[in-house]
Amino acid sequence: MEKGPYKIKAKGLEGLGLTVKSVDVAIGRLSMEDAFEKLGPTPMPSITSLRDWDMKLLNRYKPFYAPFCDQCCLCTYGKCDLTRGKKGACGIEMHTQQARTVLIACIIGASTHAAHARHLVNHLMNKYGRDYPIDLGHEVNVEMPHARTVLGIRPRTLADLEFICKYVEEQLTHSLAATHTGQEGNYLDFESKVLHVGMLDHVAMEAADVAQIVTYNFPKGDPNAPLAQIGTGVLDLTKPAILSIGHNVADGIEILDYMEKHNLGHPGEKIEVAGLCCTAQDITRYHEGAKIIGPMSHELRFIRSGLADVLVLDEQCINTGALSEAQAVKTPVIAASEKACYGLPNMTEKTVEEIVGALTTFSLPGVLILDPEKAGAVAPLVALRTAPIRNKYGVLPDAATLKKLAQSCSNCGMCRRNCPVNLPVNEAIFAARSGTIDRLVQINERCIGCARCENDCPYHIPVHSLIVGAAENKFRTSKYMLRVGRGPILDTEIRNVGQPIVFGEIPGVVAHVGCSNYPNSGVEVAKMAEAFLKRRYIVLTSGCSAMSIAEYTTENGTSLYEEYPGGFEAGGLVNVGSCVANSHITGACMKIASIFGRRILRGNYEEIADYTLMRIGACGVAWGAMSQKAAAIATGCNRLGIPVILGPQGSKYRRLYLGRREDGKSYEVIDARSGERTQAVAQPEHLIYAAESMEEAMVLTAKLCIRAADTTKGRMIKLLHYTDLSKKIYGRIPEDLPLYIRTEADIPITFKDEVTEFLRNKGWSPTEKPSIDPTLLGRLVYGKEMNR
Amino acid sequence: MATVIPWEKGNIFGPKTAMVSKGDVVGRLIKSAKRPLLIVGAKILEDDVGGKPLLNYVIELSKAANIPVVATAHTLKPLVENGLRSPAAMGMVEITDRLRDPSWSLDGKGPHDIVVLAGITYQLQSQMLSTLKNFAAHLKTISLDRYYTPNADWSFPNLDEKSWAQDLDKLIKAIKLKQ
Repeated sequence: MEKGPYKIKAKGLEGLGLTVKSVDVAIGRLSMEDAFEKLGPTPMPSITSLRDWDMKLLNRYKPFYAPFCDQCCLCTYGKCDLTRGKKGACGIEMHTQQARTVLIACIIGASTHAAHARHLVNHLMNKYGRDYPIDLGHEVNVEMPHARTVLGIRPRTLADLEFICKYVEEQLTHSLAATHTGQEGNYLDFESKVLHVGMLDHVAMEAADVAQIVTYNFPKGDPNAPLAQIGTGVLDLTKPAILSIGHNVADGIEILDYMEKHNLGHPGEKIEVAGLCCTAQDITRYHEGAKIIGPMSHELRFIRSGLADVLVLDEQCINTGALSEAQAVKTPVIAASEKACYGLPNMTEKTVEEIVGALTTFSLPGVLILDPEKAGAVAPLVALRTAPIRNKYGVLPDAATLKKLAQSCSNCGMCRRNCPVNLPVNEAIFAARSGTIDRLVQINERCIGCARCENDCPYHIPVHSLIVGAAENKFRTSKYMLRVGRGPILDTEIRNVGQPIVFGEIPGVVAHVGCSNYPNSGVEVAKMAEAFLKRRYIVLTSGCSAMSIAEYTTENGTSLYEEYPGGFEAGGLVNVGSCVANSHITGACMKIASIFGRRILRGNYEEIADYTLMRIGACGVAWGAMSQKAAAIATGCNRLGIPVILGPQGSKYRRLYLGRREDGKSYEVIDARSGERTQAVAQPEHLIYAAESMEEAMVLTAKLCIRAADTTKGRMIKLLHYTDLSKKIYGRIPEDLPLYIRTEADIPITFKDEVTEFLRNKGWSPTEKPSIDPTLLGRLVYGKEMNR
Repeated sequence: MATVIPWEKGNIFGPKTAMVSKGDVVGRLIKSAKRPLLIVGAKILEDDVGGKPLLNYVIELSKAANIPVVATAHTLKPLVENGLRSPAAMGMVEITDRLRDPSWSLDGKGPHDIVVLAGITYQLQSQMLSTLKNFAAHLKTISLDRYYTPNADWSFPNLDEKSWAQDLDKLIKAIKLKQ
């Protein structure tokens, strides 16, 4: 890829009767950039350009592997048993195989976002032109911090986003090639590539989200973005309803535009338009009259309710049984992505009327339409025509049917043993035989909606439908409010909070992100968010987690979005938007480094990551992380120096990055002012960790916001929260507290006497020379630095 | 020995799977250990064993076998409130990480030889036992939960609550038995 800038200089050229003196020629994309910033050392990094940085991280936070399978099944040598140090036929051993598998998973995740970005950018260039400007409003000057930091470019048009896609695609191809049999053979090098892919993922997500923000005029960082309705009971059942599932909003937008142009009104006026998963977030960013049904865990139950008169499947996180589920309730399906065709006939070249005819006569269960505009025209027409025929036909059982269906249950327990979260489903179904449904209602609160319980039932009981049917009243009446995804963080907000975040006076920035594979229920995400909002942390959220936060009613009877401001401020609850909007969370850290820290972003990833790791008390919590995308997102946070806490299911990602607080040497930092080496132990302690319970995650969240460069006041505030949470949950002062108290001034005033006594008993003594300007990068020692 | 299917039926890892054990056998194993360690997790606060909280069983076991306890998740406070003296507190992931190291032990007095787990969330327990199976060959692991857990060295088979209670009673009886 011609990144440049390659410069050719000639003092004199003669030929063809032409004489030219002193010629400078610059080639490559970077040469086209004006000098918005000095260029850092790693623009458009290759898969090894940032290897040194990765190894620094991996020295601190060593890969910890929990194999999800003891074998390798990737080539015809296998299956190879790798248990306990055995090698496969190709020579690979367990550590390396696990790292390789994590790399494959993260490439799947990142390429999904990259393909999403590519589709959107191509579609939007066709629609609005290649030169359509990237304008995020006058309060966002650092418009795409990932593009600046990783590629070294400042995108100005959609065509620039295409360039970003090309870069990411090239890097993903190289990374995937490394996973072939007989390629990379060292687990640390695999991990370096995983970190690279994680970084690319955020670049791709940023391109996708910015493309849709600027062209569809989504909120451009508006802290007061409107509130939208969310819940399984939000639809007016007297109206036809369109349900979009997935992540790519192009089709959803075309539906709304078609309705507007053809006198079908705004969403909710004549036709209900709702979404599930991230596409729901994005249609409400376009029009708040669109509605959100909920996270992925609500997908099957809502299809089975039959409340949708047409189902539009775009891409990602679709239950792959959606077509047959829809067929069972006579809901026609429109598949709208090349990546998810579902075996349906391609009707893209047919007329709208022909397609509508095929769907409304039910001669086909569904169609594939690869033209968003055409899909946008077909969906409302199908909804209008099928609604009176279907009459909201669903398969969720009423009380009498539920009791009848439960009669065949023998309490064999197969449903429970097939439940990913081990819910006591069998006991609840068995109890329902006598009409007692309380236990099913309780299961409903914790159910992740996969319906795996049904697959192993010897009596073919539709277990999931019984669970949802028992909670029918809640299903029909659930209505909550969610603040529409606001997109990027404003430069002005960064100016206001950059200093208190870096100095530690705002104790942390906590991001609740990821899928709905919760160990207990989505309520835990909301409770964690609420606890940290009350403590005046900045809480960010996105995707399914943002929806789970909305589905919680506080003591005041409202949602957290109604109780807390939407600004990037202490005690603010910031919904950035869909999955791809996660890039604005990491982007905010980059912007703090740029706007407050005055660090150069351009092509300067390593230094920005070092800044984040040392100074910005940010922590991600992906409590229900399920997908390969979530793995890539988390790993992208990690390379940027942001720790992530997963729920217990996250241990199935096979790899964590763990520090060991007793190994002080691994936490060594360099003081940039003196060049001396010192230890900043466990600041932060881990880079990616799986917690067992919400309570453990909460204490850890407060701890992982501690940074080596905290000021005294900031450290004191952070330790106040860490100590307070630890006392409430564990009943004692944290055993590792002495590690974080550099001098007596760090001791939280509220617990001064107690902690002072505790330190005395522990034999604590002040740190001799705590670094006030810590770094992992020797080149940043004053006098050596290149980029300040 | 008949094949036992893991509690979560798809949770099949590879050729090395746990031996199915009974309470008295496990009791004798623990009793014979030189440096055992008991790790307890969040489910001890939820699970009942024949009407008795699992929390009470693990405290009884710890006292009977004089075995040190690591409290994971948020179990420390209730364990102490219920009379367990000085349990250590660590995350399940953190204790597993350290147990990979053959020289590490909770008290620094030599490596553990048997690690007993109870009440750890099933999926997390399975993954952490996978780590120990593959990277801590110096250790033997026992799961006391009523779910067959293939990554342990010894596990109960899949049990109903009544059978589980009987096995745990036999286990404690075996430990208390004077030789």
